[in-house]
Amino acid sequence: MIDLIVFVTLLALGYGFGRMAETGHYRSIHRREKAFRNILLIAARFPPPDLVPRKTQLVAGSAVISVDYFKRFVAGLRNIFGGRVRSYESLLDRARREAILRMKSQARALGADMVFNIKLETASISKGRRNAIGAVEVLAYGTACVPQKHEA
Amino acid sequence: MLVSNLEIVPGRRVLKHLGLVQGSTVRAKHVGRDLMAGLKNIFGGELRGYTELLNESREESLSRMLEEARAVGANAVLNVRFSTSSVAQGAAELFAYGTAVVLEGE
Amino acid sequence: MQYENPEIPEGINVTPEHHLKEFAVLVGGALALILAIVLLLGWLAESIAAHIPFSYEQEIAGDLGGDTPVDATQVAIERALQTLADGLVAHMQLPSEMRIHVHYVDDADTVNAFATLGGNVIVFRGLLEQMPSENALAMVMAHEITHVQHRDPIVSLGRGVVVGLALAAIAGVSGGDLTDSVFGSAGTLTALSFNRAQESAADASAVATLAAYYGHVNGAAAVFDLFARLEAEQPLQPPAFMASHPDSGDRSTSIAAQAHAHGWPLTGELTPVPEALRLQ
Repeated sequence: MIDLIVFVTLLALGYGFGRMAETGHYRSIHRREKAFRNILLIAARFPPPDLVPRKTQLVAGSAVISVDYFKRFVAGLRNIFGGRVRSYESLLDRARREAILRMKSQARALGADMVFNIKLETASISKGRRNAIGAVEVLAYGTACVPQKHEA
Repeated sequence: MLVSNLEIVPGRRVLKHLGLVQGSTVRAKHVGRDLMAGLKNIFGGELRGYTELLNESREESLSRMLEEARAVGANAVLNVRFSTSSVAQGAAELFAYGTAVVLEGE
Repeated sequence: MQYENPEIPEGINVTPEHHLKEFAVLVGGALALILAIVLLLGWLAESIAAHIPFSYEQEIAGDLGGDTPVDATQVAIERALQTLADGLVAHMQLPSEMRIHVHYVDDADTVNAFATLGGNVIVFRGLLEQMPSENALAMVMAHEITHVQHRDPIVSLGRGVVVGLALAAIAGVSGGDLTDSVFGSAGTLTALSFNRAQESAADASAVATLAAYYGHVNGAAAVFDLFARLEAEQPLQPPAFMASHPDSGDRSTSIAAQAHAHGWPLTGELTPVPEALRLQ
């Protein structure tokens, strides 16, 4: 009985705070994505030959986003039936966009307006083992090109 | 829609770069498959259930990436890369990303 | 060459569905799965367990009476309970190899009695303290002895082991410690309790025994009234007897119906609790 109460409380707390954190995070992601729109992300490996940047530099950004109790429980149940683990999708989406935004803010600090050859690495600290912290880590990196005309 | 992990498509010029497009998915197999995979671990051999899982995930992440590419008005995705990670035990996370471009000609 | 970063619409990499909806579907599915496993495997285990010979059951149980009570009053209580049990058994047509051993546990907080493997019936001090008459005590004892007669402990053990293993396998595969605990407790809940059909059968047989032993069934319903009262007094900590014996409310009415059908008198002189068992 007590176990059940603790379990339901944790589930409700996980759901409430998880939702709050997620909507808040998405709001901030949308705001910053708008602000950083003028920095172009290009996944192509080579910048065009006619582009002669003043400076090129590696920029990187990473983010680690944790699961909440509710998401983990739902994912555990989903593992029984199989199919799309929806509760983790938003987690990965958030982590990836956050990492890209952090990389962009580094590029902005350099005065760059383009980032080439973007690569994304996903890792999960703990690999979802039992009783371990469940979190997604995303690392985004690329080469920022600072254009000639700007004097940083 | 042309999908390639080449940088350039021979004979066709890239008119426009539209930036990064990505698709990702997390999928799991039902308990029966997991149990069978556990048994297979004793005898060895291919884990068909999990191969199937990876294929499904790859297709889904690719189609999501293509959906993004279509939404930005591209006609090809170049330099496509896949990456996998395991967020949860028994679930596969597949991530596909590439550059959305507009190629000349059809 | 042109470079551009058009805005990508939301919701391509995230399924736009409400989490609570998925949660409800999954929890419903999991419960249905647990139910199916419990019913199917439970039925399978039951049909096998009933064929295990009683002597083997006694071997599993080992010698519960090995720890001889040091206290003289405890010896007296156990002897009095055994006398009552033997008196009831005389009216119950037990197979000859089936011997009932009554044990007493000096625990005033536990209002309970239960039957376990090898014909052992365990009575707690808390139950004895609450008994208004010997008839009520006899009702509880006859109920537990019937469980032994029907092989319910070994059947429940078999069911519990099989169902527990199946649920643990599923929970283990799903990989979460959370689902593990949920499936685990669902398994234990089903493991140690006798099911509803077993309980009603035990009730019916106990009432019949009471009618044969005393000539009337007065005092039998008092047991369930007592448990219902105790449950109402402590809703958060119901007596252990209640936890393993569901739906006690209807049980006293079904006793009356049964007595009416067989023509057993519902009234009669209540026998007081024997001296040795009068605690408090």
